[in-house]
Amino acid sequence: MKTLTGQAWCRLKTAGSTVMLCSMLTLSACQPQLPEAVRSGLVYCSEGSPESFNPQLVTSGTTIDAISQQLYDRLLDIDAQTGELKPGLASNWQVSSDGKVYHFSLQSDVQFHHTEYFRPSRALNADDVVFTFNRIMQKQHPFHYQGGGNYPFFQSVDWAGLVANVSAEQPLLVRFELNRPDSSFLSNLATDFAAILSAEYGKQLLQSGQLQRIDSHPVGTGPFRFREYQKDVLIRYYRHNDYWREPAKPEQLVFDIVPNNARRMAKLFTHECDVVAFPRIAELELISKRADVDVQESTAMNIGFWAFNTAKAPFNQVKVRQALAMAINRDAILQAVYFGHATAANSVLPPTSWAYNANLEPLKYDPAQAKALLAEAGYPNGFSMDIWAMPVQRLYNPNALKMAELMQADLAQIGIRASVVSYEWNTFRRKLGDNEHDSVLIGWSADNADPDNFFRPLLSCSAAQTGSNRANWCDENFDRLISQALLTADQKQRRSYYMAAQQYLSEQMPLLSIAHSQRFQALNSQINGVQINPYGGIALAGASKEAK
Amino acid sequence: MILYLLRRVFLLAFVFIALSILAFSLGYLFPGDPLQNFTGLRTISAEQLPLLIAEYRMDQGYIQQYLGYLQRIISGDWGLSFASQQLLLVEIKMLLPATLELAAYALLISFFVGIPLGIIAAIKPDGVLSKAISALALTGYSLPIFWWALLLIMVFSLWLGWLPTAGRIGVLYEIPYQTGFMLIDILLAQSQYQQEALFNALRHLLLPTLVLATFPTTVMIRFTRDSMLEVWEQSYIKTARAKGLSRSQVLYRHGLRNALLPVTRQIGLQFSTLITLAMITEVIFSWPGIGRWLIDSIYQRNFPAIQSGLLIISTLVITVNMLTEVLHTLFNPLARKR
Amino acid sequence: MAQFGVISAELLARSPARQLWRDFSAQHSAVAGLVLFSAFFLLAVLSPLLTPHDPYLQNDTLLLLAPSWSELGQVQYPLGTDDLGRDIFSRLLIGSRYSFGIAVITVVGALLMGLLLGTLAGMSRGVKSSVFNHILDLALTIPSLLLAIIIVAILGPGLLNTTWAIMLALLPQFVHGIRNAIAEQLNQDYVIAYRLDGANNWQIFSRIVLPNIWEKLTLMATMALSTAILDIAALGFLGLGAQTPTAEWGAMMADSLDLIYLAPSGVAMAGLLVFLAVLSVNLVGDGLRNAVKKRRDS
Repeated sequence: MKTLTGQAWCRLKTAGSTVMLCSMLTLSACQPQLPEAVRSGLVYCSEGSPESFNPQLVTSGTTIDAISQQLYDRLLDIDAQTGELKPGLASNWQVSSDGKVYHFSLQSDVQFHHTEYFRPSRALNADDVVFTFNRIMQKQHPFHYQGGGNYPFFQSVDWAGLVANVSAEQPLLVRFELNRPDSSFLSNLATDFAAILSAEYGKQLLQSGQLQRIDSHPVGTGPFRFREYQKDVLIRYYRHNDYWREPAKPEQLVFDIVPNNARRMAKLFTHECDVVAFPRIAELELISKRADVDVQESTAMNIGFWAFNTAKAPFNQVKVRQALAMAINRDAILQAVYFGHATAANSVLPPTSWAYNANLEPLKYDPAQAKALLAEAGYPNGFSMDIWAMPVQRLYNPNALKMAELMQADLAQIGIRASVVSYEWNTFRRKLGDNEHDSVLIGWSADNADPDNFFRPLLSCSAAQTGSNRANWCDENFDRLISQALLTADQKQRRSYYMAAQQYLSEQMPLLSIAHSQRFQALNSQINGVQINPYGGIALAGASKEAK
Repeated sequence: MILYLLRRVFLLAFVFIALSILAFSLGYLFPGDPLQNFTGLRTISAEQLPLLIAEYRMDQGYIQQYLGYLQRIISGDWGLSFASQQLLLVEIKMLLPATLELAAYALLISFFVGIPLGIIAAIKPDGVLSKAISALALTGYSLPIFWWALLLIMVFSLWLGWLPTAGRIGVLYEIPYQTGFMLIDILLAQSQYQQEALFNALRHLLLPTLVLATFPTTVMIRFTRDSMLEVWEQSYIKTARAKGLSRSQVLYRHGLRNALLPVTRQIGLQFSTLITLAMITEVIFSWPGIGRWLIDSIYQRNFPAIQSGLLIISTLVITVNMLTEVLHTLFNPLARKR
Repeated sequence: MAQFGVISAELLARSPARQLWRDFSAQHSAVAGLVLFSAFFLLAVLSPLLTPHDPYLQNDTLLLLAPSWSELGQVQYPLGTDDLGRDIFSRLLIGSRYSFGIAVITVVGALLMGLLLGTLAGMSRGVKSSVFNHILDLALTIPSLLLAIIIVAILGPGLLNTTWAIMLALLPQFVHGIRNAIAEQLNQDYVIAYRLDGANNWQIFSRIVLPNIWEKLTLMATMALSTAILDIAALGFLGLGAQTPTAEWGAMMADSLDLIYLAPSGVAMAGLLVFLAVLSVNLVGDGLRNAVKKRRDS
């Protein structure tokens, strides 16, 4: 203990003089010349820790943002502007005429990460793709049960039932054999979940018996390579210098994990963070006043809606549902709940989707006609009902309780006595699954750009059975439309099906679409080249810091 | 003197046994299954269960279990953390230096600022300077540390933008863990940006150290001042003054030495206060130390972590206390008689 | 002492309490502290009558209202409202019950328990007392907040548990102080004389010891009170003490921390009140200490 005090003494002397020096330096705003790894390094302040470093295993946006686009590549990518598919690791692909066999030609000379724990001896080939997807599909695969054996995204699209076989025909040619045609197959391959892993790394782990490291010490082909992860503190990546596309601009990328909203904002203002995820909508105005900080927004692929329990009276009557929808002043909601940072929804699909039906008649706010419709349906004096409001904040609905209170006032105008109901989140979802509700304020965030991702999980008959169909709506006509849309690969034809489906929805009104909320991100105004991707995780490879 | 030391060692041993009994009984006091609390395993499979029961002697009496626990503590098997499923001792080893570093700098500041100010305040007890110092000390003494920290962050970080708000060093500086003491690790790291990293680390250190040092410094001022004034009343000082020495001469030759003796005893007492305040400081400044970890563990109901966190912090506090007391006795023969 | 001319100096000298008051009131800072302290005390008792609004009532139409001195504020809400539309002023007033009132109760509780244990320890001798003293010394080295955190960790977070925890955490210093004070008294010649007169332990304690240690008790209580206020607020701030929506000052600060950019006054005001409460107690304590010292010296 004596020696420790001695050390402390020495340290104080240096510390004392340097503290003086550094406070002088800060006052004169003189910055020392910074080395490259620090100067060009980028700090992204994220809202939480990742669950895993393998996107196959997760669904949470936090994890996807932190790992997918940085560490991995996919066979196909989605163009952020148009939402169309473009080549990724697969330079081109062919579909057989029956839509059941797909061939993908891989890019040549794609290098995997060279890290402290793995030295790749070869470039990417078809074995890696086979390894990646067999892990998901084959229960006897050595890595299948590593990490629990759950692949939530792939299970939700019935991957195992769809894909019969994946094989390597040539070193750079992969063959996918499907059990039935599925036009959303390619879109699913382009999601952030379908990252390509290294078969060689898997082999090395099998030999050393460290199977669990495949998800904790990742190896991919992405623009950054993994360096370290301190739980709840940070993730550190370095640039993958042999990246097959243009190498990333930042030499270093750090995800600083700051769950607290106020702290993330503080770090943005003190320039400890370059990019900040999810600034609070209430504070956007404050942020945009600052010269050193920019706010970016993009319409994300989501929908906030008010679903009626169509199995219950009086909500089984189309006229009642239409009356209720007409009675709601959605403009007021957009202002009070979304602070104007959302677009009014006309359809379940966001306008950015290629299948969006722009010809739909916009729904009018018309209490008088709503009252007339109610009378036609046999309720001239209105009725009593519940509005269930989810207790948590989500991108698609930042404050459901507030929204419910606003709607309560609107409904009172047409003689409907609404009461607001809410439970703790898990209880809420359980009771909702049991269809105990009259109506509910909830929403949906899409996993990929394919329109099917909005229709099937939300409103199909099978979804009504599994409980994710909040409107409890099962309509033969609608189901036929969306199933037919999946069986054809021709986009024009698919679009016509989806257009019809949307038209049908706006007539039947099983749910009232309220808003497509924007996603926000705040960043230091010196940062260029960061954009929010509406279809998935954030990509930071193109970011550069422009020193003033 | 040897007898005195032996008594102290005996007391220390007694204290550790008492502490370990407390920590052991926590395994039962906390809600949940004691076996999970001891091992830190979130789920125990059916095939693991009999093995673990045998290993942790859960089928035997409490005394056998306690002896097993003691054995594991000494051999370094502290179980796993519920939250991260990592070895607790490894986590603690990573975190403890951060807290010690912060506390050590704050302690040093409290000495090098507090003692001189206390002496100045004692020279002319009724002077303006002395009054001002006393008023300052009283203010600092009454400041809630978390409020003070937030005020400083609001002014120096958010308003003026001079200093960072969180962490030990900018996240872009990669400093490999060696000793856990950031400044030493930077000096040991053979990196090209040593100087910049050092500068950056000091900027991160400034506010937390200042916040943490406030309370002990004011205590130091008050203690030194009172101690000086008390010594001033002693007859040997009066004798010295009667001999014709000036006030500062008396102060320097007789007063200071005698007044500062009790101050050495303060190190230990201050250290324990510092560790507590460091917990709050760490929470506010996101300082990755043991205090923040312990408080997070309380939120997360991470019982194994709470158990070992308490053990390590209490052990630390009591050891430092005991050591300073022994040192104090070493320098002050009068205290040995007690 | 000309200003106290009404009462004769002779009379003053007779009563130690009055002399103490004279020395105490001669210090401006101490009197200021006492006034502040009394104000907090009254507030803690009367706050339910003083609050202009229900401190827990949410008003959706008045979210995050600015303080009344700003152009956007309203006179009815002097300090504005929080993010749920609750009146901050009313919440701060009612908060005095928790942060200040509970601290007082805690200290009184610890004092009574300490008196009991300290007396037992001070009046007894032998091996039992030695072991007890060692354990006490050990407990003393652990700071009250750490001890409170340990106890909360076992009991679980909550205001009631915090009260118990701080009471227990304050106990060692009371026991220690009281034991030493009693031991000191027992060594006095007048106690020995009284004992020789045939007085039993209880008589010695109630007639001689207690009247002679009350000054020390008061001093200890003020020191403990400042600790208790700080600890309750600190635990509340850390989320281990009072839980939302309780309007305890520390918990309120933690709450408003999320809104520090939109409504910085929320953080500032609650902390200021904790600071003032502790300051008033410390001022009174310092004043008392000086007065006692002066009286002893004269």
